[in-house]
Amino acid sequence: MNAAFGLSLVLVALALLAAAEGVRMARRWRVGRPARIDWPTGLAAIPKRYLVDVHHVVARDPYAARMHALAAGGLLAGSALAVLGLVPPLGHARFYWGVVALAFLVALAGGAMVGRRRYPRKPARLSGGAFQRLPMLLAVYVGGGLLVAMDAAFGLAGPLGWLGLVIAALGGFGLVRMIADGPMRHAFAGALHLAAHPRPGRFEGERATALLPADLDAPRLGGAVPADFAWNRLLGFDACIQCGRCEVACPAFAAGQPLNPKKLIQDLAGSFKAEPPTYAGSPYPQAPPVAGLGGPERPIVGAGALIHPDTLWSCTTCRACVEECPMMIEHVDAIVDLRRFQTMELAAVPAGAIPALSESRYAEEPGGRPLAARTDFAAGLPLPLIAAKGSCDVLLWLGSGAYELRHGRTLRALVELMRKAGIDYAVLGPEERDCGDLARRLGDEATFADLARANIATLSRYSFRRILTADPHALHVLRNEYPAFGGRYEVMHHSAFLDELAADGRLALAAAPAGRLAYHDPCYLGRYNGETDAPRRLLDRLGLERVEMERHGKRAMCCGGGGGAPVSDVAGERRIPDLRMAQARAVGATTVAVACPQCAAMLEGVTGDVAQVRDLAELVLAAVEAAPVAQGAAR
Amino acid sequence: MKTLVLLSDARHPVSGRPAPAPTELQAINLARSLADEVTGLHAGPDAEAARGALGHGLARLEHRKILAGHDPLPSLVAAIGTEAPDLVLAGRRAGAGDQTGLLPYRLAEALGWPIVADAVALAVEGGVLEVIQALPKGARRRWRLRLPAVVTVHPAAPAAASFALGAAREGQVETAIGIPAPPDEPAMEERPYRPRPRLIASAAAGAGAAERLRAATQAAGPGGRVMVDPSPEEAAQAILNHLRAIGILKPAAGG
Repeated sequence: MNAAFGLSLVLVALALLAAAEGVRMARRWRVGRPARIDWPTGLAAIPKRYLVDVHHVVARDPYAARMHALAAGGLLAGSALAVLGLVPPLGHARFYWGVVALAFLVALAGGAMVGRRRYPRKPARLSGGAFQRLPMLLAVYVGGGLLVAMDAAFGLAGPLGWLGLVIAALGGFGLVRMIADGPMRHAFAGALHLAAHPRPGRFEGERATALLPADLDAPRLGGAVPADFAWNRLLGFDACIQCGRCEVACPAFAAGQPLNPKKLIQDLAGSFKAEPPTYAGSPYPQAPPVAGLGGPERPIVGAGALIHPDTLWSCTTCRACVEECPMMIEHVDAIVDLRRFQTMELAAVPAGAIPALSESRYAEEPGGRPLAARTDFAAGLPLPLIAAKGSCDVLLWLGSGAYELRHGRTLRALVELMRKAGIDYAVLGPEERDCGDLARRLGDEATFADLARANIATLSRYSFRRILTADPHALHVLRNEYPAFGGRYEVMHHSAFLDELAADGRLALAAAPAGRLAYHDPCYLGRYNGETDAPRRLLDRLGLERVEMERHGKRAMCCGGGGGAPVSDVAGERRIPDLRMAQARAVGATTVAVACPQCAAMLEGVTGDVAQVRDLAELVLAAVEAAPVAQGAAR
Repeated sequence: MKTLVLLSDARHPVSGRPAPAPTELQAINLARSLADEVTGLHAGPDAEAARGALGHGLARLEHRKILAGHDPLPSLVAAIGTEAPDLVLAGRRAGAGDQTGLLPYRLAEALGWPIVADAVALAVEGGVLEVIQALPKGARRRWRLRLPAVVTVHPAAPAAASFALGAAREGQVETAIGIPAPPDEPAMEERPYRPRPRLIASAAAGAGAAERLRAATQAAGPGGRVMVDPSPEEAAQAILNHLRAIGILKPAAGG
């Protein structure tokens, strides 16, 4: 009997304890609804999902990636090897214990990095409390293990080894105690979440961003209590490591609106537990107080519960939190599920959203405007109706932006460009209803489903090759969310379409004089559909000086116009579009190129000495008009 | 406290689709502040639009089936007789059809109940209904009356609840045959709209061109005084006098 053998036995005991804690956690998830999970595929895919998909996110913060690789890799390797020391030939080999010591040394370096990140001053995005104690416990456990392994490696068999064993046992016990309700929860829940993820398509190269249809025949619509969530959603909430990347990315949090995705997930993770762990991170900014009472069968949202409704309605559904989450948690799904209950069962929607929902339902248009007036923007331009033509190559989906003068200018430019390129296009005209994006994000799945079915029935009457739209919200709904209702179409955004025309030489472009230009990625084009290259390619064809804002591409910041946030209008300390235009100013942009009616409206609404806002179609039209007529394409 | 809300077979003013009339939904909202369960009443060939109100806070809908074009009044009076509500709420006017806005008055007359138009807030205490009535230009008037009563609701009342599918699924519709009441008089005469000629004040004989122009272009306003560069005390006194004159402030003490 020596200290090394003792360490192996202690580790076996700790592993059993850890397993018991894991079972305790798993039992708590059973309050959730059943979920269909492909276990063999999921479990087999954990290493790939971890090493590729998770690493891809973690590596955006290289320090955190190295820290985690050292700490987790060293700890797991050292512990596993030390347990294997029970096998006699290995346990007696001094070289073997040298390898164990090396692993623990690596883990100690990782633990030191964890500590250095948090001390002397903890960044605001990181949580305190038990998380501040984590580096100490890590150091104690791996330091103790290191002493034992070195003792065995050098064959000392002295008191140092026994001292190390006691230290390692204490530290290890502390870490295991952190599994069910502490920071170590992420290790167990996170691994299982990768296997049982509710959107496995995310790991197969799909964007997998479409909201899942709600069961409108369910006895209760949407998510009211924790038991309404599928069990693997509850598992996902438990996977959160409180790294705060979502908090940094969240536009509502930045604007001082009462939403913090990290705290939201913590509230949801605590909602189904008898004694939720205390939260020591940033709060919801300016949130009205709530009672803070939770439980598996207690409501989650409400002044008498855990989350104030204002928190829910602050979300712009921009998915920045989901994009940043290294644990692959689906924040937006949770928010929309909670909204669905608020809207479809309680009718508790923000006052500003009531007219938009009512008009969507009774006039099939959120502004309550006549459907026939949608084409008014095109006065003077030929805008053939598909009802008159019967078929066309490109069906132009106008969207609700067509009623606005600002987006009308964009659409006029787009129609003008199609005319110049000789495209066979048409519109639905009075037959085009709202796509239902606003109703769906606001949780009114019933109205969305009605609109989707009506639109799909209309589209099925005509023959066209593809749908073109200048509204990424309509693009996302038509391309990704209508298939669940039986409508499958090839849908193109005008950025990709114009890029294609320019590449084919059907549009002659001349460099349009302009200052510095920055492209603002619409969330529903970049993050939801992964289209970040075509707009940039198109802009580069215009020969402009293009700069990137600090947040761009799939990590771009929202303009504040999505998810019904403009109609919900939850008060904040700042405005999201102001923050975004300040970012454009920071890189010296004099023009901000947009590709979405919401972005144009939000960003152009920023007052003061700010960059001008131009849609891609307007910029391209200016470049085409600047081109010598002789080179112009045939009309 | 039993409250009944009259629902018309309304159409959306823009889309023309069946849609509950906004003031009727606001009436449901007001009724819910008085009682937990609100019943709706509709007399007509089908209750498609009225049925939609079930998603806006209505618990139950009583439907009296009558032929299209028939007068709903006898059916409504009979249904109110059996339901015996304390309060009947209605919109200002129906959301479709002739939209004369007369039905609540005819109903109150038939029932022998008092009627207050254009309510924006309701409260009940000891069988006495307190109605805040909307008057033009934002003025409000308080009425107290004994129940039962008929009250119509003004668009300035608190906003109606949004549609909730869950509530709509649970709402019940009870259909019974109504009382046939063919319209006894020929339908009202319809004429194209003709703007009424505006009365132009004529300037006094011998007035200058500027005065005649002013007289011809200025519509006769609601009166008032123009004070040019008054002292603050004078101006404040004039405002106070006006507020007293229109009844927003109490008359001056002793005056």
